[in-house]
Amino acid sequence: MPKCVIDGKEVEFSAGENMVDVAKRAGIEIPVFCYHPGLTVVAQCRMCAVEVEKMPKLQTACSTPVADGMVIKTKSDKVKSHQKSVMEFLLVNHPLDCPICDKSGECDLQDTSYSYGDSNTRYTEERRTYLDLDMGPVIKKSMNRCIHCTRCIRFGDEIAGIREMVAIHRGNSTEISTIDGKPLETEYAGNYADICPTGSLTLKDFRFKKRVWFLKKTKTICEGCSRGCSVELHQDNNVIVRTIARENKEVNKYWICDEGRFHFNSVHNQHRIVAPVVEGSHSDWATAIHRLKTLSANQTVHVLIGTDLTNEEVSAIKMALPKASKTSVFSHFGTPGLTSAAKDEAADALLKRKSKTSNLHGVEKLGIAGFEKFDQSAGLVLVFSGGRAVLPDVSNLGKAKVIGVGVFTDEEAKTFAAVLPATTFAEKSGTIVNFMGIEQKLQAAIRPVGSSKQISEILMLWQNQQGSEGHSNG
Amino acid sequence: MLVKAKTSLTQRFYIFDIVKGLYITMKNMLFAKKVTIQFPEERRNYSNRYRGLHYIKATNGVENCTACMLCPTVCPAECIHIEAGERPDKEKYPVKFEIDVLRCCFCGMCEEACPKDAIKLSNIYEMTVTQRTIYEKDFLVEQRGSK
Repeated sequence: MPKCVIDGKEVEFSAGENMVDVAKRAGIEIPVFCYHPGLTVVAQCRMCAVEVEKMPKLQTACSTPVADGMVIKTKSDKVKSHQKSVMEFLLVNHPLDCPICDKSGECDLQDTSYSYGDSNTRYTEERRTYLDLDMGPVIKKSMNRCIHCTRCIRFGDEIAGIREMVAIHRGNSTEISTIDGKPLETEYAGNYADICPTGSLTLKDFRFKKRVWFLKKTKTICEGCSRGCSVELHQDNNVIVRTIARENKEVNKYWICDEGRFHFNSVHNQHRIVAPVVEGSHSDWATAIHRLKTLSANQTVHVLIGTDLTNEEVSAIKMALPKASKTSVFSHFGTPGLTSAAKDEAADALLKRKSKTSNLHGVEKLGIAGFEKFDQSAGLVLVFSGGRAVLPDVSNLGKAKVIGVGVFTDEEAKTFAAVLPATTFAEKSGTIVNFMGIEQKLQAAIRPVGSSKQISEILMLWQNQQGSEGHSNG
Repeated sequence: MLVKAKTSLTQRFYIFDIVKGLYITMKNMLFAKKVTIQFPEERRNYSNRYRGLHYIKATNGVENCTACMLCPTVCPAECIHIEAGERPDKEKYPVKFEIDVLRCCFCGMCEEACPKDAIKLSNIYEMTVTQRTIYEKDFLVEQRGSK
């Protein structure tokens, strides 16, 4: 393998790699603004310039491929003074509104200015200001903070497949805007806020909700569709406030769709049932478990398993059911009209899949078939759901009763005999299998909301009570 | 083992010590300058650096605070609770600004951290209350004290 020397450190690289990536691997940081590993290289912010031996001028590290035997200096006096000057130019028109900016605390411009810039400003003239137009429901623009890195323009063009952001005017009055000031159309608009190195493009949903340094971060997997994008859930005080994409080169690269990004709102949905319900009225766990026990005893149970459950939960249900009822029939549900994993296909050119639940492929591998119609002999329909799967119509089943275990809204559970609230993807840990067959791990970000319990815990309660009651009766 | 202290005759004869003690008592009672004051009527002068009750400074009737959350970040007693919002004349302002004064340790870090010179500690030290009090924004914005 060819080798180069960065700051006296010998680093191996493969042909075609640029200096920023090679240096990063060696633990050396080269500051960047316009460079993003998922986008094309434009080398226009000039922040990453480094000194290369035998080259007369500074080279931009993002656009220069490393060559064998190259000697690169990232911390020489020449580079340092250059970085200081670039920071000064970038901050000439940048407003000092970090106290009200949502990006502050995770802002590339703030961090880089702190590490490489000067703490004083020589600029005394009036700063350039813009009027901001509305950019639709996802993104809030604050053009005054922009440093014209054009990451957003390139993202729309290259990744989202829609050219909606452009740079209008030239020179000092350059403005990043949508074409004709129209609102954003892409379903991946949230990524604009993720990749923006300043606070120019921020999420409306997250606006002024929390300062980022208060957030506790959990690495987990999105349950929005069968792709299973790597995401990070951010919470404070057991309330999730946002989702951001996590790098995963095999699955989602650096991006997530808006549907997945804002799916966390369902966790704190005010209509979600978070305490046991029996016959439409609030109850306690003992009564609800008792109800479940009496309705399931000596019955044929049709078990509907949502494809948003983890492999562990599905296995636990499969093990527990034969002990608790006479006979049981299993089928899975999730996306209307999609009864098998074979029918799952890409819904768009980037990430989205037709299956709107995360574990369709995993549940199918555990030997459960898709839901077609209700078993006529069933006396009880037991629905297990993680909140994402869309319920089949259970409103008129004749004599069969319906009990829901999982996450339901008031509306969904109207006709249920009982609801035993369980956890959503944000409150449980487990394994899910995406459409490529990659097993990924869900990580609980918050404690269960209300008095909801894990499905495994509910199954244990169910069986223990049966055991203890049988004992006292006998 | 009990050791009996040896005392001389004058020490055992207490009257000299009693007279000595009474002399000090009388001297302080009758002639020394008083250290107490008649509190509600008389007030002490505190230094301008005294850290008492908080207030939020306002400029032209608009509170200086932009809800940047630096004071709750730096507060060691976690007694400041802010909720941010937006209104037409101000991009970011505190919808809710509460100080749980019983938790406050009056360290003044909030005042030091504030980039907008909004939260200040006045020299008001009379904060006796009969129940747990959380001071809200409306109360805090009204400027009290001399700073």
